[in-house]
Amino acid sequence: MIKVKITKDKSNYKKIVISGHAQYAEYGSDIVCSAASSITTTTINGILSLNKDGLSYKISAQGSLEITINSNDHITQTLIENMINLLKELESQYPTNVNVK
Amino acid sequence: MNFLRLDIQLFAHHKGQGSTSNGRDSAGRRLGAKAADGEFITAGSIIYRQRGTKVYPGTNVRRGNDDTLYSTVDGIVKFERLGKNNKKASVYPVEA
Repeated sequence: MIKVKITKDKSNYKKIVISGHAQYAEYGSDIVCSAASSITTTTINGILSLNKDGLSYKISAQGSLEITINSNDHITQTLIENMINLLKELESQYPTNVNVK
Repeated sequence: MNFLRLDIQLFAHHKGQGSTSNGRDSAGRRLGAKAADGEFITAGSIIYRQRGTKVYPGTNVRRGNDDTLYSTVDGIVKFERLGKNNKKASVYPVEA
């Protein structure tokens, strides 16, 4: 199961850790993993395009992704919120494979 | 710019990852018949290696403590029925 752990400071997103494996299907055909990966990659690269210091990220050997949000500006926070909403939508469709908290 | 490379299987179970505690097995014990029906064998020769009594000892045949059947005389091996469901191995000396 992909676990999405969100850390907020008052109303701003501060850190998001995405870990685990969707285990929806074999490696290479896991569509849930593909959706989660695409959502996060699009958001990270989008924010970096607009503000190269807006966030930083780290990928562990086990494949977990840790995103540290450095900027509280409206665009960065909105794009992160959009990512979380999409991940929550994914969770609603695949509750046994994604968990957002 | 330090963009994140798109890996659409980033959160998929990677092949080869993880381990299993299985994967061990002992070597085969080479059980079964060591002499064929109608074959001439000498006294003391092993006829059948087994666990438990798949085949019972018959005439001139005895069972070792590991259930191995062996001959007590020189002669011809015969696998025969024992009752409705069982088998036995016997050795009959060759008439001179």
